[in-house]
Amino acid sequence: MLVFVAVVVIGLFSLTRLPIDQFPEMEPPYVSVMTIYSGANGSEIETNVTKILENSLNSVDDLKEITSTSKDNMSLVTLEFEWGTDLDEATNDIRSSIDMVTDELPDGCSKPLIFKFNTSMMPIMQYAFTAEESYPGLEKILDDNVINVLNRIDGIGNLSLSGAPERYIYIDLDPKKLEAYNLSLETVGNAIGSNNLNLASGSVKMGKEQYQLRVQGEYVESSEINDIVVTTSADGRQVYVRDLATVRDTIKDISLDEKINSQNGVRLIVMKQSGANTVQIANDVRKQMERIKQQLPPDIKVQMIYDSSEEINNAINGLVESIFYALLFVVLVVLFFLGKWRATIIIGLTIPISLLTAFVYLALADSSLNIISLCSLTIAIGMVVDDAIVVLENITKHIERGSRPREAAIYATNEVWVSVIATTLVIVAVFMPLTMLSGQAGIMFKELGWIVTIVVCTSTTIAISLTPMLCSKLLKSVKVSVDEHGNLVEEKTKIGWYERYVVGFLNKVDNWYANALRACLNHKAITLIVVTLIFAGSLVPLFLGFIGTDFMPQQDNGRMSVTIELQRGTRIEETMRTAREIEKRMMVLVPEIQLISTSAGTNDDAGISAMFSTTNNNKITMTVRCLKKYERERTIFEIAEVIRQELASMPEVITYQVSTSSGMGGGGASTVDVEIYGYDFVTTNLLAEEISQKLKDVPGARDIDITREEDRAELQIIFDKEKLARHGLTEATVSTYVRNRVNGMTAGYLKEDGEEYDIVIRLQEAFRSSITDLEELTMPSATGQLVKLKELARIEEYWCPPTIERKSRQRIVTVKVTPVGVSLGELAISIQHMLEDVNIPQGINVALAGDYEDQQETFGDMGMLLALILLLVYIVMASQFESFSKPFIIMMAVPFAITGVILALLITDTSLDMIGALGVILLVGIVVKNGIVLVDYINLMRDRGYELNEAIALSGASRLRPVLMTALTTILGMVPMALSTSEGSEMWVPMGIVVIGGAFVSTMITLIVVPVLYAIMSRHGERDKAIKEQKEYIFMQLDPHDDKGTVDNPQK
Amino acid sequence: MKAVFIVFNQANTERVEYMLDQLKISGFTFFEQVQGRGTNGGEPRRGTHTWPEMNSAVITVVNDDQVEKLLQTVHKLDCRNKEVGVRAFVWNIEQTV
Repeated sequence: MLVFVAVVVIGLFSLTRLPIDQFPEMEPPYVSVMTIYSGANGSEIETNVTKILENSLNSVDDLKEITSTSKDNMSLVTLEFEWGTDLDEATNDIRSSIDMVTDELPDGCSKPLIFKFNTSMMPIMQYAFTAEESYPGLEKILDDNVINVLNRIDGIGNLSLSGAPERYIYIDLDPKKLEAYNLSLETVGNAIGSNNLNLASGSVKMGKEQYQLRVQGEYVESSEINDIVVTTSADGRQVYVRDLATVRDTIKDISLDEKINSQNGVRLIVMKQSGANTVQIANDVRKQMERIKQQLPPDIKVQMIYDSSEEINNAINGLVESIFYALLFVVLVVLFFLGKWRATIIIGLTIPISLLTAFVYLALADSSLNIISLCSLTIAIGMVVDDAIVVLENITKHIERGSRPREAAIYATNEVWVSVIATTLVIVAVFMPLTMLSGQAGIMFKELGWIVTIVVCTSTTIAISLTPMLCSKLLKSVKVSVDEHGNLVEEKTKIGWYERYVVGFLNKVDNWYANALRACLNHKAITLIVVTLIFAGSLVPLFLGFIGTDFMPQQDNGRMSVTIELQRGTRIEETMRTAREIEKRMMVLVPEIQLISTSAGTNDDAGISAMFSTTNNNKITMTVRCLKKYERERTIFEIAEVIRQELASMPEVITYQVSTSSGMGGGGASTVDVEIYGYDFVTTNLLAEEISQKLKDVPGARDIDITREEDRAELQIIFDKEKLARHGLTEATVSTYVRNRVNGMTAGYLKEDGEEYDIVIRLQEAFRSSITDLEELTMPSATGQLVKLKELARIEEYWCPPTIERKSRQRIVTVKVTPVGVSLGELAISIQHMLEDVNIPQGINVALAGDYEDQQETFGDMGMLLALILLLVYIVMASQFESFSKPFIIMMAVPFAITGVILALLITDTSLDMIGALGVILLVGIVVKNGIVLVDYINLMRDRGYELNEAIALSGASRLRPVLMTALTTILGMVPMALSTSEGSEMWVPMGIVVIGGAFVSTMITLIVVPVLYAIMSRHGERDKAIKEQKEYIFMQLDPHDDKGTVDNPQK
Repeated sequence: MKAVFIVFNQANTERVEYMLDQLKISGFTFFEQVQGRGTNGGEPRRGTHTWPEMNSAVITVVNDDQVEKLLQTVHKLDCRNKEVGVRAFVWNIEQTV
């Protein structure tokens, strides 16, 4: 007793310590190697860097797939490992592989940079700040008031602002004036830079004192720059900066435009440290944010774009609700069948205690309360009561025969504990293999396997220890008295409505079932044929493809991300205008929208984060947040469809994708990828184009996207080497000069309040916006003379080679397709058909991949798992029954579980996904358990000498209630899960449906098929056994009067 | 002196002990967990999966005058619930040391 109290206390303690998360901790097994090789274009990078790295990295252990991107200046090789690989180890391997080829890499190429992709790079929250008057100073305000405050929160990772207006000091030069004064841009830049200094110039001793000598020349205000003297002209006049240029103290020229609900705004992206608790951090951030709001200027508005903790909380709350309902239902079922509240309490107590041990496990395993662990608990609830029920039943039987509760508890438990453990072993045999599953599914289901195993084992321990103990205390012995004749009279228990109606009803069901069973036993052949027909019939929809298959269910979390691509080369201002228009249309079409956060263009300070973003000047990305799922009538998928149609009707939109996924963990949209492998750009591009055109006719195919970028127009400066040499210039110096003039030269910083702002000097925009302008650029030669660019080089327009993507060391183009309204599997099949009609040129391979590939892989794993589980269960049962045929009989019920699954999926129009497939595996456990109860009892009755058919009918009648009870507790335990509509419920609804359907049908079938099969299988077996036994005990046939009848000389 | 051999379903253990106490029979030998089956009815008690229940047995050597009372009490106990079952057999004691 005290042990269990301790367990409860530890369990509750663990529960309070458990973090809440969406999924179990999983580290995505990706490692990237980034190499910068400035000046090289995509195909040069491919041959000189990427290929060399790929060949070397290909030998790293546990490598699953190697993909690479080669674009201008950069090569990125991504290695995908098997899930569960130790990435630290892998990183070491990678490092040594890279070291081996470092010498082969071209000179001037940077050292390859290895970095792991981890979950902390995923934003957990996004805020939008919109401002009016304070917009220009927004960056500073947010930096001081928001980022600094939030950074103090425990576990917070990176905080970054996107689209913040940065303060810049621009000095726009007039090239004509420069020429007039015979100055170069660099002279001006150097003049500005060298007048902006704080320097220590030694120390001076004066009398007894010593002074530090300092030059304090830094600009205090940007206007000071105007008065810098650049040079003194030949006639002695001083040339000021203001004579040559205008100084603008302003915000950076836009190349990235962030708008929130069409207002100027900034996005704050919050990331957490790896392993930190998302929910905890999000709560802290929200709390801080409330306080911060007060301190911000009144025109700054804060809005939440995205909060991943909200989703997690909703999902977890939904599941917790399901657990409580499941608990309630299970207790009600037990009460209904037992009809005694004391007994029900005893049984009911096993549930919380068993579940609490799961929390202890979770705490010890450093895991969290997540969707998987809570789903496991729901599954377990239906199973934990079974053992306790068996024990309780036997104890009650003893008590009814007049034993005192204490004795009854002891002896009744002794009688059944072995068989209780045996049935538990079956469940363990089903769930333990889950812990061995590899891959992504393995990480998710490891927890499930352990939890159910642990919970079921605990429940068995409780059933044979705590349950009898409680029985001995709580149950009352039958009240008896002795009447006047000395006869024993049992005191009549009050006949309540329960005895009258429920027991009567149950008895009727028992009798009806026994009769039905007898009838079936008399018509075995017919029964079997009918049942087989039902089974075969149910397989038809499966083969006809009515049952779709998905990898991971798509979730409706009220968010969409929209990517729109306009005509290549569109200038940012034009893109912004289109973005505003689209926003307006969307607001009209979709009143559910709460917030649209749009970014257009690109941030030209390429950092690591820029590597992942593909925003270019012609691209718009929008994050759209709608009302919560239960506050609107249309699903997010319907809304996305509306937006897709609208975008399709806009002529300026070239391509678009509307994805409804959160992009987090497994909830992402599943895609089918058509991979085209081939070396030649032209052929593969044409094929990709053809395929994507044909895909538009495939039903359900949306968001078709070709990953290879189209050739991009570029201006190239082609130098005349002779002329360069004549002026004493090199390509390197000239390209720096061009860069300084067009992009700007950073001539130091303006310091204010501890912040540094760039001073950028460049030509006025009007003098650098056409090819002619560029040709007119003047630059100093080695002798100090000014030369025009056109004297050194010509400028040509050309198409730059695209980004080159490779997979498995081959060039690849991927056409991505998202299924809408159809399942992943269905889409993949129709694409497969479509591909058969496509004429694929020689030397090019086409393959289906993407989530479809993952799905196939996982389903393959699941199939293996199912086989393994069936084998294990068979072994456990075979040793339990000491028979090879009986387990087989029981397992015959498993296919009918599949019938139920198919029917349930068909009726509810759900497609089978990874979680659903898991449900199928669980069914094995449930179904087999039912069979065991029945077959075990038939065996018992046969051993006790009943005739076969009679034994079967009797067992049927007697075991009907336990079987129904087990099935009902499981089914009703799943009902809340199947019906749940909370956010994120898409994850577990299929599993609920699968288990309910499968358990329901298979229970019905078990009750008929198993007895009939038993009858067929045993008839011969048992008769043969009797004859065999007779032969073994041959001494019975000896005639003792005959001396010949010895063992040495047996009688014929 | 007579020896009384009482075999009973182990669920009756406490009752048998109580009975012996009440009858002031202090001496006995207790066989815990014995198997058996009855001739006239009487379910087998084998401790197996088929017949999971078990018997226990007591041999008590009592004075001749106590036998009648003891057998009556045993019968009463049997009457309480035939299914649980208790039997008693009596034979003579030839010698004791």
